This record gives sequence, structure tokens and C-alpha cells, in this order.
Amino acid sequence: MFDRLFFVLGETFTALRRNLGLAFAATGTVAASLYLLGGLFLAYSGISRYADGLSGRFEMRVFLKDGITVPQIKWTAEKIRSFEGVRQVNWIPRDKAWEKYSKENPEIARGLENPFPDSFKVILSDLKKGDEVSERIAKLPATDPDGGVQYLRDEQNLIAQAKDALKVLGGMVGGLLATIAAVLIFNAIRLTVLSRRIEIRIMKLVGASYATVYTPFLLEGAIQGALGGLVAAGLLALTHRTIGEALKSFSALSQLPSLPYNDLTLALSGAGAFYGVVCSAAALYRLQLRYR
Amino acid sequence: MTEFSTPYLRFQNVSVNYAKHPALSEVSLEVERGEFVFLVGRTGAGKSTLLKLLTKEVDAAEGTIDWDGTEIRRVGVFGIPKLRRSMGIVPQDFALLPRKKVWENLAYAMRAAGATRRQIRRRVPEILERVNMVHRADAYPDQLSGGEQQRVAIGRALVNDPPLLLADEPTGNLDPEHSIEIMELLVELNRKGTTVLVASHDVLVIERLRKRTVTMSEGRIVGDSKTDPVTQPMLDLELEPEPSPVEIPVVVETAAAAPVSVSSENAKEVTDPLPISAEDAPEDTDPKENADV
Repeated sequence: MFDRLFFVLGETFTALRRNLGLAFAATGTVAASLYLLGGLFLAYSGISRYADGLSGRFEMRVFLKDGITVPQIKWTAEKIRSFEGVRQVNWIPRDKAWEKYSKENPEIARGLENPFPDSFKVILSDLKKGDEVSERIAKLPATDPDGGVQYLRDEQNLIAQAKDALKVLGGMVGGLLATIAAVLIFNAIRLTVLSRRIEIRIMKLVGASYATVYTPFLLEGAIQGALGGLVAAGLLALTHRTIGEALKSFSALSQLPSLPYNDLTLALSGAGAFYGVVCSAAALYRLQLRYR
Repeated sequence: MTEFSTPYLRFQNVSVNYAKHPALSEVSLEVERGEFVFLVGRTGAGKSTLLKLLTKEVDAAEGTIDWDGTEIRRVGVFGIPKLRRSMGIVPQDFALLPRKKVWENLAYAMRAAGATRRQIRRRVPEILERVNMVHRADAYPDQLSGGEQQRVAIGRALVNDPPLLLADEPTGNLDPEHSIEIMELLVELNRKGTTVLVASHDVLVIERLRKRTVTMSEGRIVGDSKTDPVTQPMLDLELEPEPSPVEIPVVVETAAAAPVSVSSENAKEVTDPLPISAEDAPEDTDPKENADV
């Protein structure tokens, strides 16, 4: 069994060595496409996480009319909670708000009457629903008609657009690079088959099993893909570290989330290997490398 | 063979078409265990196709092919490797790996066929011995003569210790001296029990070995020395394949001038010094060596 395994592995590495240039090109392109796809995916999930974290900061402030009673406040709070896209509604009584402000800004507050109305802090679960929620709150009877709803509409829209753009960019550029990688692996395998036609012929003459004949080609594709995935994971880690270092100098900006390096390496090299096997199988199928 | 015994190898009304063009038409042939059979005929006569039917490189359109109890037409795609492991195949072009030594070429074939390292260590010297290549075991193919390369190819065909050896034009790339040497090796293997089928158009060698000769033409068997010894080897001469351009008119003329029963001596006369080929041949070349091309 080990003899067969060593033979197949030996054949695989011989094949890789023979077409070293093309193998490098294929591996490089797989690495580039996985780097881009992986990078975009990480950026997307990073922004999503950031946006989720920001939704607390991108809270809405809803100011109520003067003279609103507690039952009206409760009814309004319940109504807002029932809107789709709303995660949390907190009532901020005008006294509490003034007390807090007076503590934070005692010199300004001194001698003044409480100017704050009763208000709600509304936290969204879905940034895209911001406009809709805002419009519905504004229509409620207790809401102050004159600027009763305040929130960072533009910032929220910007984040939503950034996420959409990343999706499109990932799909287009990543897809293009993945196609180029497929063509390169496909051609690498075809060239390998051609350069190893005597070996293949000998194997068929002496009745080598299908696994012995075909596995080296599939392994070759898998190795090219897996190496591409490893390189991509390394590059992503490097990029992550570089950006992280750069961000340290801007204390105003939040730090990058940590990179799950082990999971990323496994995922990318696994995806690359699978992709390589698929491309190799396609090349073998195209060559109609039948046992004839 | 008794009346009721089954032949070792039997083709029954076998037809093969290549893109609707008939390559074999209703061919029937029986070969006994331990026989040595030459398949002779022009290029395109169907002799290689007959061998390829046995190795499943080609599928028959009609007929049955039985080999030692196996109906070859029923062997599926996944049964081909096993089928090939039970026969030895010798190609015309040697198909040796140029960067591997003689013994490595054999070891490679054995490893591909699934042999363990221990089996290889034991078997490779045996095979080298059988094909008389022990003294050249460490040579690379480009350091070998054509005959030696073909010996290695024959040795490779023996890695599975097959009971049946198929050789497709094994002397097609060799000079007459080496051709005889290779055929003698095949005869020696046959003497030890291996059934041998050889597709060849090497008239001189076939003449010399005096083995059963099946003559083919246009996809049909037109002569068999086992059943019709009188017609041999004349059919070979008539079907002289692929003569060099300068010899074509001479061969045609000679064949027409001397129709049937030509003996081996006559065969020499037929191909002996001829005005055109003698002119082209180098002065120090034995004209007999040019007889077979």
C-alpha cells in the first residue's frame, strides 16, 4: 500500500517539477484570486461587524412633544418596538437627561431651566431600515413634529453602500481571477499529460490501475490550489498586520479585529485544493484520457 | 487439440469499423496455448487491430473474442487494467523512459503495475536475465542499440509474468540482424510456455523462423500456414509492405513475374541486388540487409 502511495506521490512531484513555470503561474493566480476573495470577504465581514457595533452609536433620538403623559410614552415606546428593524427602545425622562447634562456641563447648566423634552433612544437591528423606521416614528402622535427624529442617516447609508460595493467587487474581480486560475491549472494539467505521455503509455501497457494513472494529475491540481491558498492566507495575514500597524498611529480610529489565521489558512488552502482538483478533472475529461 | 477442446484464443466472425470504414471483416482465428503466431500483411491489413482487440484498445463491432475463458468483449472499462496485467504488450517504438536506466525502466513499469519494492528487487534481475540485458542494466536508453532497446521493451512486457505476449511490429525500427535477435528472443520466451502473437511484415525474419503465419489483407485473413502451408510464404512477398520508394517498381515487377510458390531461397533472389536499390545502397552494405525495409 505504501509502495503504491509513494509511487503516486513520486509521479505527482515529477509532474510538478517538469512544468515548474506553469505550476508557479497557476499557483500564483490561485493565490491572487483567493487573496482578493479572502480579503474582500474579511473586509465585508469586518464592515458588517463594525456596522453592527455602530448601530448602537447610530442610534436614533426621538424627541417627544411637551406635556406627554407616561401612558402615552409607554404606548409610543411599544409602538416603536413593534417596527421592523428596531432592536431596542429606551425612554430617557427629561429630568434624567437634564441631570446628566448638568453633571457633565455644570457651568453651562447653572441657572438654566431644563430645556430637554422626554425622549427615546432607538437602536436599530438593521441599518437599511433606518429611513423607514424614522418615517414611521415621525408619524406617531407623541413625536415632536419639528425635528422630532434625529439620526446619522448619511453615515448609515454609506456603510450599507460599502457593503454592497464589496459584494459586487468580490463577485466580479474574484470571479475573473478565479477564471484565470482555472485556465492556468487546466493548461498546466494538459501540458503535464503531454509531457508525461510515455509514462502514461507505459502505465497503460502494463495495466496500471485507474487510480495510479489519474491520481497524480488530480493531486498536482490539488497541490497547486492548496499552495495558492497558503500563499493567499500568508499575504492576508501580512496585509492585516500592515494595516493594523498603520491604524495604531491613528488613535481616533478603532483597531482591526483579530484575524482567525488558522481557520483562514485551512479554509483558503482547502478551497484552493478543491478548486485545483475540479480544474484537473476538467482537463483530464477534456483530454478524454481514456484507458485505451 | 482434441475435437472438443477449446482453443486458448478464439476470434469468431469479428468485425471492427473505424469511422464506418471496415478495419476487420468477419475475422475468425484460433490459437492454441503455447503457440507462436505471426500476423503478416500490408499496413492497414488489420493485424494491429487484431492485437488491439485483445488489449481492448479497440472494440469489435461484431463477433466474439474468447481468451482462456474470458469473453473479451464483455470486459468493461474498469476491467481493462486487470486484463492488461494478464498479458504482455510490446510496442514498435519501445516506449522507454529516456531519463531512466534499463533496470529503472523495468522497475517503473512494475511499480506502475502495483508491485512492491521487494517484488521489484527480486524480479527485475530475473527479467534482465531473460532478455539478456544484465550487462546493460545501468545503461540509459540512448546508450543502447535498437535491438537492445527492444529487448528492454520486451522485458517490460514480462513484468506481470504474462501467459500471452502481444508484439506489434517489434522489429519495425530494427535492422535485419537485430530483428532476428529480437524474434529469437520471442521464440525463446515461447519455448518456455508463453503464447506469442506477433504482427510483423519482416519477411526475412518470418521466413527464417518458420512459425505459424496468418496473412491478412484488407481486414480479412487470406492465408494461414497452419491450415494451408502451400501458400506460405508467398503471400508475404506479395504483401511486401512499405517498400522504400526506389524499390516499389522492382517489388511489384518481381511479384508479378514470379507468382506463387517461392521458397526462402527465391525470396532472397527477389530482394537481392536490384539495379535501382543497389545504386542507392552504400558500397559496403550487404544488399541482403536492404531486402527488408
